Amino acid sequence: MPLKLLLQLSHRNLFRHKRRNFMLLLAIVVAVSGVTVMNSLIRGFQYDMQDAAVSNLTGHVKILAPGYLDDPSIEKSFRLAKDWQPDIDPKQLEGWAARIRIPAVIMSERETRGVQFVGVDPTQEGISFLGSAAYRGERLQSAADRRVVIGQALAEQLNTDVGRRLVLITQGADGLNREAGFRIAGTYDTDGNGLEKVFVFTGVERLQSMVDAEVVTEVSIKLVGAPEEFSIKASLSAFFTDLDVLDWQELEPQAAAMFVFADAAIFIWFLIMMGALIFGLVNTLITAVMERVREFGMLRAVGMRPSAVVLQVVLESTLIMAVGVALGLFGGWLFILWIGEGINLARWAEGVDMFGMRSLLVPRLLIQDMLLVAGMSLFFGFFASLYPAWRAVKIKPLEALRR
Amino acid sequence: MSGAIVVRCRGVTRTYQDDAVPVRALRGVDFTVDKGDFVSLAGPSGSGKSTLLNVIGGLDRPDSGEVEVDGVQLNDLSESELSDLRLSKMGFVFQAYNLIPVLSALENVEFIMQLQGVEAVERTERARAALSALGIGELEHRRPGELSGGQQQRVAVARAIVTEPVLLLADEPSANLDSTTTTELLKLLRTLNETRGVTIVAATHDPLVMGFAKRQVNLHDGMIAEDSANAVPD
Repeated sequence: MPLKLLLQLSHRNLFRHKRRNFMLLLAIVVAVSGVTVMNSLIRGFQYDMQDAAVSNLTGHVKILAPGYLDDPSIEKSFRLAKDWQPDIDPKQLEGWAARIRIPAVIMSERETRGVQFVGVDPTQEGISFLGSAAYRGERLQSAADRRVVIGQALAEQLNTDVGRRLVLITQGADGLNREAGFRIAGTYDTDGNGLEKVFVFTGVERLQSMVDAEVVTEVSIKLVGAPEEFSIKASLSAFFTDLDVLDWQELEPQAAAMFVFADAAIFIWFLIMMGALIFGLVNTLITAVMERVREFGMLRAVGMRPSAVVLQVVLESTLIMAVGVALGLFGGWLFILWIGEGINLARWAEGVDMFGMRSLLVPRLLIQDMLLVAGMSLFFGFFASLYPAWRAVKIKPLEALRR
Repeated sequence: MSGAIVVRCRGVTRTYQDDAVPVRALRGVDFTVDKGDFVSLAGPSGSGKSTLLNVIGGLDRPDSGEVEVDGVQLNDLSESELSDLRLSKMGFVFQAYNLIPVLSALENVEFIMQLQGVEAVERTERARAALSALGIGELEHRRPGELSGGQQQRVAVARAIVTEPVLLLADEPSANLDSTTTTELLKLLRTLNETRGVTIVAATHDPLVMGFAKRQVNLHDGMIAEDSANAVPD
């Protein structure tokens, strides 16, 4: 097969109808750029949602007492040896935190609310939103800190502020109610205000003393990066035989389902865009073939094999698709660079919060997505060219020459 | 030069459907062409001359009868095998030149050699020699759109002869040319026939073309009405 000759012919034929092929190329570039940008935004949404779910005191893997998820109370707690460390390769471990997390009622002078009261060691909380939130006033200083930090939104609901006192009521290990006063060290401000209204933090030792038990209700472990497989679950389960070891997908099933849905959305979006594009491609190729009926007839008459005619049409389609895909990916990449800081969704903050996302949607361009777009586009381009190629080869040389 | 038979047709028939009306283009034609012959197929429109040329070239298949070119039976060949046969044994000169518009004159002449897999250096050398022999060597970089009708037909002839085919088939080669250009072209074909021994079969209704052929075959209603030798013109 004279591939070099066919490439030469295909290449020159693309410049034969400059305006038409330019429009087709433009359509491919816009479609591929659009798919690339949209994919990166969906990925941004997907990973932001995962990150939010993991940072929401969840971690990638969590150790809990059996039944805690159904009844999150002090009774569903466990003792953790003071010198315990997770047996994980330090390169894979971002951090871990042991906490007590129990329901409580919080009261200011004016308002009362139900909250999650969480005892933490602030030195371990770099793995949760507590480590990255903005603060007014002070952060908790140690596991023995006797003050509380509350969300800015809760402070507004309770009509209170930094430095003032609050009363928290919760159930102790003996089943009796415990009540204590706490001074507000500071208020934290997260991206959405859902977390701010729910979580109240104090030192873990202070809360253990309040409930009168040296126990924790959870150990969160955060790994480096965004792994999808958690091999450490098995080793942790083997160590904590009487506890539940769950990953974030089990703990946040809605977020996990949305994560899977985002993968499908990328593919569906790609199919819709490419489907529309393929019609244009097929139409243009058929026009190009029908315009050159005589030429194809002559090529066959002078001895070009039918398979070479097919290859020529396929090469023309593949060439324009390859150039379009390369320019489209580049264009998409440039656009993503332009919006690299992210798109501010603050206007839709409540809806965004419902999905567990932050208000800034940062695009995330993955090499695997670019390869998928490039590979699938060329694949579709190839199949789109088969019908016009079949039309070209069905042309009888004699009939073509008579036209 | 003569002796070996290049084309042999035995009892060839071909019927077309023209608006559901059967048209018997060839009615049992028996016809042979010797090596080195220059034959004009003449006759009025609808006499079957182009059909006979196309059947010989493997561009059309007979309904019955046998066609043989350089010892190869065409009847049972597939489309790909016919393509290969045309590529290796035949040269075509079409009425409308049929050059590839995106290739230069030189590339058009090289085209068939590229299909044959001839090495690039040899290909270019032979193509240049063919264009020079036809007096258009200086136009090698021009594309068909930049050439006159006569120049395009010379490029088409160069393309047809450069591979030194066993048989050169020409369908109304003078149809789009003025008489001066036609005469030049015919002298050229005649020279090729005499100096290189190229066997030529041309379908035509142009008396000028008929006059340059060594042999004239007249067709009428799909049958050979007359087959005679011509006096060689100066």
